[in-house]
Amino acid sequence: MAELSGKFQDSLMVIAEKVDENKYLNSIKDSFTVFMPFVIVGSFATLFNSIICSPQTGLAKWIPALSKLSVAFTAMNFATLGIMSIPVIFLIAMNLARKNKVPEYIAGIVAVAAYCSVIPEVVTVTVNSATGSAAGIPAPALGAQGLFVGMLLTVVVVEFFTKLTRIEAIKITMPPSVPAGISTSFNTLIPILITLVSVSVFGALFKLGTGTYLNEFVYKVMQAPLEAVFQSPAGIIAIVVFAQLFWFLGIHGGLVISPIRNPLMAAAIAANIAAVSAGQQATQPVTYGFWMNFIVPGGAGMIFSLIIAILLCSKREDYRMIAKVGLGPSVFGISEPVVFGLPLVLNVRFAIPFIFNSAISCAIALFATKIGFMPCNTVDTPFGVPLLIGAFIGHGWQGIIVQIICIAVTILTWIPFVLMTNREIENN
Amino acid sequence: MRIMLACCLGMSTSMLVSKMEEVAKQQGKTDYKIWAADQTQIEAELGNFDVLLLGPQVRHILKKVSKIVDGKAPVDVINPVAYGRCDGAAVLKQAEELLKNKK
Repeated sequence: MAELSGKFQDSLMVIAEKVDENKYLNSIKDSFTVFMPFVIVGSFATLFNSIICSPQTGLAKWIPALSKLSVAFTAMNFATLGIMSIPVIFLIAMNLARKNKVPEYIAGIVAVAAYCSVIPEVVTVTVNSATGSAAGIPAPALGAQGLFVGMLLTVVVVEFFTKLTRIEAIKITMPPSVPAGISTSFNTLIPILITLVSVSVFGALFKLGTGTYLNEFVYKVMQAPLEAVFQSPAGIIAIVVFAQLFWFLGIHGGLVISPIRNPLMAAAIAANIAAVSAGQQATQPVTYGFWMNFIVPGGAGMIFSLIIAILLCSKREDYRMIAKVGLGPSVFGISEPVVFGLPLVLNVRFAIPFIFNSAISCAIALFATKIGFMPCNTVDTPFGVPLLIGAFIGHGWQGIIVQIICIAVTILTWIPFVLMTNREIENN
Repeated sequence: MRIMLACCLGMSTSMLVSKMEEVAKQQGKTDYKIWAADQTQIEAELGNFDVLLLGPQVRHILKKVSKIVDGKAPVDVINPVAYGRCDGAAVLKQAEELLKNKK
């Protein structure tokens, strides 16, 4: 048994290392770390819209002129979430180029240009029931629906561009009298040219051969199914348990899964906002705010609940001491003092609740969404907002109630395990 | 001595930083510079620190980080228990010993 669990630990460690060392996943992860604040700011634009400009829920109820400002916040939302594929592609290309040691900014622009060359540049418009085409980029190609095709294409484009810059045969050697700047400029020109010709021809052939654009195809066969799994109760609960297994080893589980988790969350909040602005209901429960408020409130593994359980029932002085140290940080979502101080890492006594309590909390919140009590959020909550306040920002008063239920239930599921450790002391 | 701590977002390590600064001050070590950063910042901060300490929750990146730092400064994972208890003195000592052993 010990040997088996040792092997299991080793293999999880290897997964964590491999994910981190993989330069593509790493570039994606780092890019989303940079971009995440913009997602949250973009979602705040919807908050401003509802508390300022909405004639039903906002200040515009009393000052009707404020509703005119709505255009500004809609534009702000478009400028962040609505076009997120472009900055994300640029960032991924830059991060990858840095690892490949090729010029970062050029690679970033090459990747954006490559992406723009495979997406449609005409939109279908209907005016007075007559349908026609007009110049323009369809919104899905710029927004979250372009994330996965953008990530894939960027990886291929930057690798291709890197290879080309290393081929000596296409480098132009100038006589020594020509300034160095001139030859450098030519030597990036040719790789850019070859990369963009290849990608745009590929895109055109793809459209001719299949009848759909590359971005629409990748969205349909890859991103949409991934989104469906991520948003399904079984899918997200499995992901949460998987992340907690890493935490049990003392490794930041959220960080390990972030290359795949964060793009899907960004897509979810964008879809919710788009649905609500179109007058429909938001349908994607699992967003960054949902994760912060209902999967890891008080720290991944429901650490705030554990602290309360210890303060209520533990007779161990060392546990009570750590619980007091950890209480403050835990309100802000920081779990490390308890995780490493108690410790919970590799502590079999607490393994079961530590691994499964976040999943239980997640299931409760999903249930509350499913029965229509709690709406899917359109305002995201950043990391580090205190308990309850974060839930209120993201999910309103319903969010507060659901978060309290999540915490209360998981206090109850921690308690038996805390009591067991009391008995250990008595036996000694 | 310049000590950089890195974890995910640099949030939980920043708690430790203030404890370490307190201890360093008490010990009269006024020329110490201690700060926390997100693990993605390591490459950009290269050359700014004499010792790099990783939070135990990101210890899986040690191998990669060692490659990035490439012997320019000693790198290690913070002792998990000292980390959990936010024990500034122990971590400061760990940093000092790392640098001493390197020299």
